[in-house]
Amino acid sequence: MAEVPGAPTPGTCPVAVGERVGVRFRWRAPAARRCLLGYALLAPAVLYVGALVGVPFLFSLYLAMSDATVGDPVAGFVGLENFRAALESTTFHVALRNTVVFTVGAGVLKGLLGTTLAFLLVQPFVGRRVVRALVVIPFTLPIAISVLGWKWMFDSQFSVLNWALSRVGLIGGYGSPDWPVWLGQPSLALASVMFVNVWRGFPFTAIVLMAGLTSVPTEIIDSARVDGASFLQRFRKIIVPMIAPILFIGAAFDTVFTLSDLSIVYLLTNGGPDGATEILPTLAYNTGIRAGALGRGAAISLFLFPLLLPAMVLLLRTLRRRQY
Amino acid sequence: MSDAQTVRTDLAIGRRGFLKATGAGIAGGGLLTAVGARRAPAQLKGTSLRMLMWSHFVPAYDAWLDDFARKWGEKNGVRVRVDHIPHLELPARWAAEFAAGAGHDLIQFAGQIFTGQYYRHLVDLSDLAAALEKKYGKWMENARSAAQVRGVWYGIPDFYIAIPVLWRKDLFDSVGVGEPKTWEDLRKAGRLLKARGHPTGMQFSHCNDANHNWRALLYCFGAKETDPSGENIALDSRETREALRFAKALFDEGMTPEVFSWDDASDNRFLASGVGCWIHDAISAFRTTQDTNPRVFKDTYCVPEVAGPGGQKWNVGEPNVWAIWKFGKNPQAARDFIAALVDHQKEAMEASRGYNMPFLRDHYRKPMPGLGNDPKLAVLQEQDRITAFFGYPGLMSPPAQEVLTTFVIPDMFTRVARGAAIEDVMKWGLGEIRRIYAKHRAA
Amino acid sequence: MPARPRAPRSPRTKALRRHAALYLGLVPFLLIAVFPVFWMAVTAVKQESDLYRMDVVPFWFHLPPTWKNFDLLFHRTSYRDWIVNTAAISFWVSLITLLTAVPAGYALARLRLPFAENLGIGIFLTYLVPAIILFIPLARVVSTLDLQDRWWSLVVVYPTFTIPFCTWLLMGFFKTVPFEIEEAAMVDGCGQVGALLRVVLPVSLPGVITAVIFSFTLSMQDFLYSLAFVSISEQKPVPLGVATELIRGDVFFWGSLMAGALLVGVPVAILYNLFLDKFITGITGAALK
Repeated sequence: MAEVPGAPTPGTCPVAVGERVGVRFRWRAPAARRCLLGYALLAPAVLYVGALVGVPFLFSLYLAMSDATVGDPVAGFVGLENFRAALESTTFHVALRNTVVFTVGAGVLKGLLGTTLAFLLVQPFVGRRVVRALVVIPFTLPIAISVLGWKWMFDSQFSVLNWALSRVGLIGGYGSPDWPVWLGQPSLALASVMFVNVWRGFPFTAIVLMAGLTSVPTEIIDSARVDGASFLQRFRKIIVPMIAPILFIGAAFDTVFTLSDLSIVYLLTNGGPDGATEILPTLAYNTGIRAGALGRGAAISLFLFPLLLPAMVLLLRTLRRRQY
Repeated sequence: MSDAQTVRTDLAIGRRGFLKATGAGIAGGGLLTAVGARRAPAQLKGTSLRMLMWSHFVPAYDAWLDDFARKWGEKNGVRVRVDHIPHLELPARWAAEFAAGAGHDLIQFAGQIFTGQYYRHLVDLSDLAAALEKKYGKWMENARSAAQVRGVWYGIPDFYIAIPVLWRKDLFDSVGVGEPKTWEDLRKAGRLLKARGHPTGMQFSHCNDANHNWRALLYCFGAKETDPSGENIALDSRETREALRFAKALFDEGMTPEVFSWDDASDNRFLASGVGCWIHDAISAFRTTQDTNPRVFKDTYCVPEVAGPGGQKWNVGEPNVWAIWKFGKNPQAARDFIAALVDHQKEAMEASRGYNMPFLRDHYRKPMPGLGNDPKLAVLQEQDRITAFFGYPGLMSPPAQEVLTTFVIPDMFTRVARGAAIEDVMKWGLGEIRRIYAKHRAA
Repeated sequence: MPARPRAPRSPRTKALRRHAALYLGLVPFLLIAVFPVFWMAVTAVKQESDLYRMDVVPFWFHLPPTWKNFDLLFHRTSYRDWIVNTAAISFWVSLITLLTAVPAGYALARLRLPFAENLGIGIFLTYLVPAIILFIPLARVVSTLDLQDRWWSLVVVYPTFTIPFCTWLLMGFFKTVPFEIEEAAMVDGCGQVGALLRVVLPVSLPGVITAVIFSFTLSMQDFLYSLAFVSISEQKPVPLGVATELIRGDVFFWGSLMAGALLVGVPVAILYNLFLDKFITGITGAALK
């Protein structure tokens, strides 16, 4: 993506040209000094995370390949046995499938809703501040509690959603066959827990994007407009590439967070009924912690690790190498 | 590695044999005297005691217990602090305390019974158990299942929660069923009353009550999870299949699909709202109704359990068990506190509004606090005779615990209720359970 | 200069039409985002028995609203302590995060360091081990530091998930800052660090604020770490305190639960807005006019 300054008539965009020049000649300090400074700047973050999570991180990986239990964590090495055993269980298959559906489905929805919202909210209009404050609330509420609000809204008997649907005549009354049991019907239950994840997450996407959009320097856009770029051209050629790194980072983090998000499913259905909403984190937590089979639980929660590791490394590398 | 070896040998030794070998003489006399209602030894003065327990379903009981602990501490010169967290979250905290090698001196297993998981790191309480038995009569037979590993008491059972049938007399009378005595009666009432807008319900979901209720049905039908050793799976039986078949009929005739989404509290509201004709739940549901809907409460009655086709009655209780970490800083104070609490069992049971069912024989002397003087609940005073716990007739062992927390049994019932063939369901469920037991055997 | 290809209209009508379209677009978002919050707010001031009525409109009160739930929160739980703890935790976590993530993000975005890329990726990869396993070895760390059952333990632990996120987030923001701005500063005699502090940082302020907000909110999304490390009531943060002490068995104190969540969630949302507006007025919207 070195061709960022994609103004319609190349070479006429002064900012872009200046930038390219900058890429080539920006370093005056000797390389050694720059490196020293760079590592010094990087050190606190790396050391902090490394010191606190480094060993626990490796220990967790080891757990997945051991027969550890909560009461006996220094256990025998069993290689990939835990992974093999997990694959044998249909409960695990269902959890794996649900996890993929949940993560991808919720991710796409969050992306769509969040992007749309971000573009609406950077427009100037009367009452923008109020609207902006309101729509970010789902993200700022502590998830462990707001999910309980949803539990109450999805209640099989006292659901306010059903009350409203029933009043406008879309469904029958309580006890009638078309009364939806949000957390009880298999696909509806999965959709419901996904929806709560989207509800909570799309303001996050919007915030990241809004911040990204607002940091696109006005001059670049103005100059592009001066050059006669249409809205779509400006959007595609300037705004998207400019905010792409932030967008990707947001998406990557959101995916990882969603993959390990226990609270929503744990509090709403705990994976029920009959595994309809079972995802890897709930299965891992119930197996590893609540039943105490630590090694097995670790393997379940790390099952996607071999898949995610190269994917994330690749994504992050591409991301970092992008120069603008 | 060597640990794994030890476990294996230990397992080979019979449970009974171990019972005799241990118990006597390990911790000696200081303890036995501490059980008496005398002052704690002087060395406790100035120490502190921290305990971790669940949040009781009857909030007033927690208030009572916190106060009791405070007074006990003042009397004995011990700084006491009680921390409560919801029972579902306890295992995470135990795991963290164990990993850290520090935390509370006294913990309480509730919901999840981890005696079998942590016994190597828990104080042997056999002497205390023996002393309490001497003072208050025999332990209930099934008490061992929650508190012992191979005959050694690593925990002291505090109380269990009964999960009886709560039913609406007015509704049952209106269809001529009368007091339910068998599961067949409950089924009939469900069928007749659903037609009149009063269905019944038991949870077909991933919650504690689902685990209790469907196990009660299984045991009443004569099915067994394991053999008495707790090591061989015994679920593959005609009785299990009959129980599944019966549950399907129970659902089809008497319930609505909302049972698939229910949690532990849904059936409480279902009964209290006046809709449900009967539920199978702890008496907290009875209390909820009492507090929120007096009109419905007037006609709500309690039956300890109903019989299966062979006349068997088993109620599946929820035990609470005290245990003391070996790394705890004040094991003596912890023991003394347990003993003092048992000495005040009457007040405790009263404070829990009849919720805390005792494990010791003498505590069943009528009238029992909170139950005896309540005409509707007095029937629960012989609950010890019909109470079993998960894993029955085996112990509440680590594999039994995993079968519980991965909801295999409720899922089997859910599948059948949704129309799956019984043999397919048996094949699936047994496969999952076998995998779990095989893993624990290998470890 | 290319003219805008639009029919001339009075600016007033134009503004009105634009607003109408915008509001129309915002309605679904507002409904989705706000309705549950509104519902929680109503629940927070309802009497218990008013919750179980399906015969009447549930969106409003049929028994007089009550402050009982707030009273319970403030007088019969340690909610005041929890708020103070949460504020303190969030403050320290944000501070630690900024002090580490700003330089790290800058170094990753701007200074082409050999091997730095791998370090940055390494930081991120810690996310691939979920907290449900990680809390066990971390418990050992916490007790070694002698912080068990104190909220300080969370100040130590939370940056392990805020730092990686904010480092990468800020890296993204720093990349959008054109080099020549920095160049100019350095020509004016600032060093690299001076350029970062005086020029790059102010330009990236929305990103920095976003990072702070995330540190705040991520700290409040945690449940498991606080559950595992803090069991003493007065030391708990809000989410843990509310979720562990207002659910007792199968009794949910719905009103107090909702009140407890809203009282910390809404101020953060407002705070976020104030910051955002204060620092970036004028920039927004320019992108899309």
